[in-house]
Amino acid sequence: MRTNSRRSFLRSVGATGAVGTAALAGCAGVDTGADEDLGEPVPEIQFVFQTAGASPDRNELGHLVADNLEEIGFEVDRQEREFDPLVQQSVVEQDFDVSLLGWGGTPERIDPHIFLMDMHHSDFSMEGGRNTPGYNNPEYDEIAEMQAQEVDEDARRELVFEAQQMLSEDQPRCYIANEGGDHPYNSERLDSVNPTLGEGLNGFWNFLELEPADGVDEVTFGYGADIISLNPMQDLATPDRQFIRLIYDQLYRFGEDGDPVPWLAVDEPEISDDGTAFTVEIREGHTFHDGEEVTIDDVEFSFELFAEHSPTFQTYLEGIEEMETSGNEITFHLDEPDATFVSNALAQIYIFPEHIWAGIDDPTEQGDDEYIGSGPFVFEDWEREVEMQLRRFDDHFQPPNVERLIRVPGDAGTLIDQIEAHEIDMFGNEPTPVQAERIADDPDLGLATFEDIGHVKLSYNMRRDHMDDVHLRRAISYCVPKETFVEDIRGGMGTVTHSPIAQAVENWHNPDVRQYHENLEAAEEELEAGGYEWGSDGRLYYGE
Amino acid sequence: MGLREYIVRRILQLVFTLWAFVTLLFVLFRMVPGDPTTRFVMEYPTPEAREQRIEELGLNEPLHVQYIEYMSQLMRGEFGDSTHYREPVSELIFPLFLNTIVLMFTALIIAYTFGVIFGAAMGWLRGSRFERGGIVATLMARSSPEFWIGVILVWIFVFQLGVLPRSGIGGYGDELTMNVIDRYVNVDFLRHLILPALTGAIYYMATPALLMRNTMLEVLKADFIEIKKAEGLPERTVLYKHAARNSVLPLVTVVAIATGAAMGGSVIIETVFNWPGIGREMVASVTRNDYPVAMAAFFLMGTAVIVMNFVADLAYLYLDPRVKYE
Repeated sequence: MRTNSRRSFLRSVGATGAVGTAALAGCAGVDTGADEDLGEPVPEIQFVFQTAGASPDRNELGHLVADNLEEIGFEVDRQEREFDPLVQQSVVEQDFDVSLLGWGGTPERIDPHIFLMDMHHSDFSMEGGRNTPGYNNPEYDEIAEMQAQEVDEDARRELVFEAQQMLSEDQPRCYIANEGGDHPYNSERLDSVNPTLGEGLNGFWNFLELEPADGVDEVTFGYGADIISLNPMQDLATPDRQFIRLIYDQLYRFGEDGDPVPWLAVDEPEISDDGTAFTVEIREGHTFHDGEEVTIDDVEFSFELFAEHSPTFQTYLEGIEEMETSGNEITFHLDEPDATFVSNALAQIYIFPEHIWAGIDDPTEQGDDEYIGSGPFVFEDWEREVEMQLRRFDDHFQPPNVERLIRVPGDAGTLIDQIEAHEIDMFGNEPTPVQAERIADDPDLGLATFEDIGHVKLSYNMRRDHMDDVHLRRAISYCVPKETFVEDIRGGMGTVTHSPIAQAVENWHNPDVRQYHENLEAAEEELEAGGYEWGSDGRLYYGE
Repeated sequence: MGLREYIVRRILQLVFTLWAFVTLLFVLFRMVPGDPTTRFVMEYPTPEAREQRIEELGLNEPLHVQYIEYMSQLMRGEFGDSTHYREPVSELIFPLFLNTIVLMFTALIIAYTFGVIFGAAMGWLRGSRFERGGIVATLMARSSPEFWIGVILVWIFVFQLGVLPRSGIGGYGDELTMNVIDRYVNVDFLRHLILPALTGAIYYMATPALLMRNTMLEVLKADFIEIKKAEGLPERTVLYKHAARNSVLPLVTVVAIATGAAMGGSVIIETVFNWPGIGREMVASVTRNDYPVAMAAFFLMGTAVIVMNFVADLAYLYLDPRVKYE
């Protein structure tokens, strides 16, 4: 809904009026004196977002936001970038006023910690840190730290709610939408699939529980990018982890609702009263793919290995002071209470076979194809850009229903065609609205709908003076057509949001935060409240 | 100046061109914003983890140090490790190169065989309806985007007739092998090859066809053709044995250069058909700032073009005695 406020009406009349009188006076461009009591003009907004080639959806959204900003008197410098240069410019160099980027929703982000702590605590606002806006609010920092140490769930929820409330008031970022959607699959060859929160058909429980039709023993899964590495001691992208966890086990896995459930562990961890000691007992008699038993020593070895070498997971293990093992139990002693230890450490670290990795000189450089884990799938073979082949580990305590799983990387548009040609069985990316319509019309194909926990958002660079005004930031947030983005641009895929914690994460999502829907009138009121004024040219100025 | 001197001079030029090319590549890639870790910025829990990786890659060294390191590696015939995949570049791109070469050569052979025959016929039948139609068809093929040709073929053969596979290079789940015979000599592979090769062939065919037609028209004006005709030789013999033969000369250069360029594959065809080739990888490596892979791919492709140019010049010297080396 476009709203035309009294002010913008007056502005447009004013502008033509000014031009009119100037023209009558025969001296265009002479100041008519109406703007004398204005201060400096508000600096041009440097707005960085992706090119249409890199992300058609977000590019269109970016232009709509910029149009609205211009409508209410801002000057906007639209800087369209490819993905890498955009990340470099906004996250690393911090050279932006407003940037439009997304954050993927991986299972470890279901726990509110990363979204609240890493993305908004002032400790993370250095170059390349996750607090891109440079939000620095001591009061907020305190709440973020408290929620991380609060082991009692109800008490923690209160803090998490309060943090979200604060963020919605301060608007260091404008959260726009969780870009959930549909993943296509072949319903003729698959009796059922199991799309999961935040990941759709890429989810662990999908690969484990999908039911192939009679006579189908090999399932192909397409994805828009190849796996980079299966070695967690290297930089990992999300798709890599989604396959590593099929080959390796963890003590706990994120269940379908996002809470960690015991996996290699027999039961919930035993947590000491002060929240600093976590004791875990593991299953007996489970083996690696080469037949060697998985022992508590392998567990201890893995945690040491990751603490020393893994760029991604090191941080989560820094709080471990020492580990003790006895029988089938391991106790982790932490230097301070940590409410996130189960989600961020116990449910993340893959259990590696000590008898193989202890003998490897430099685990970070290990890149051959000796991927021996104890997970539900056995690594068979892999040729980059062609396919990766996995097969069922029959001896697993929870083996998958499918005999073989083939992962096929490639161009997303081409893979969608292959779904339509019935050449592949599942696809782990979202189709465009047009493609989705075609797939929905094919009786042999299905769409698996899922909710996302990641989000697309604007970040405001609060290090810059003109961006360090809450009224101005709120005004920009009121210029974001969130509904249009989800309903029209994305064809209804996704959910409008106003908070970093997705609605789908019911346990932690605060539904009562301040909301920002597209409303130019509200934006102008915010600006008025901030003392801004409009010149006769319709531009935004600081008041005297 | 003798032939030997000429060749020596050309080889020196070649080396200089290559050096300039490689240096330019080095500078260009370093000018692009970002580095190999940029893509993971959001995956690193802390900036320190990223700094560490940049250090490992030697990207914090001064540029001249990196340049010297890179050049000395190249002298030893090494391309280093892919920063993205962390495996030796040679291991990564060898199979991709093979795939591309198989595809592009198939496409070029089809394009040049049919293009030459078709072009010769157009020249011979000057002013006929066949020629007019042929020119229109050729120009259309030439000016259609490759992906569009590909999509049309896909629509016909995959979605309407259902006789050919949509993409990839073989059946899924089959044994993955690097044995060239097992890889490329089987029905499955050939069925996957048809559409992408045909797409390339249709697109590339215009050059030889039009060039052939033009030179044919020149040659047909020549006296010796009239003489051959007067001798009462059958038309077909005159056309193919005498006129066409003499018209093929300019094509030598074109074939050589096309072959060089084909080493780089066609990004578009590879993307449309999910063909795991070097063209796609080259573009991907540039977007990922994976310098070693991008450099290696461009270097091999550039070298191929430069060398094939050289070969074309030499071939011309040999084929046409009227050409003088200077």
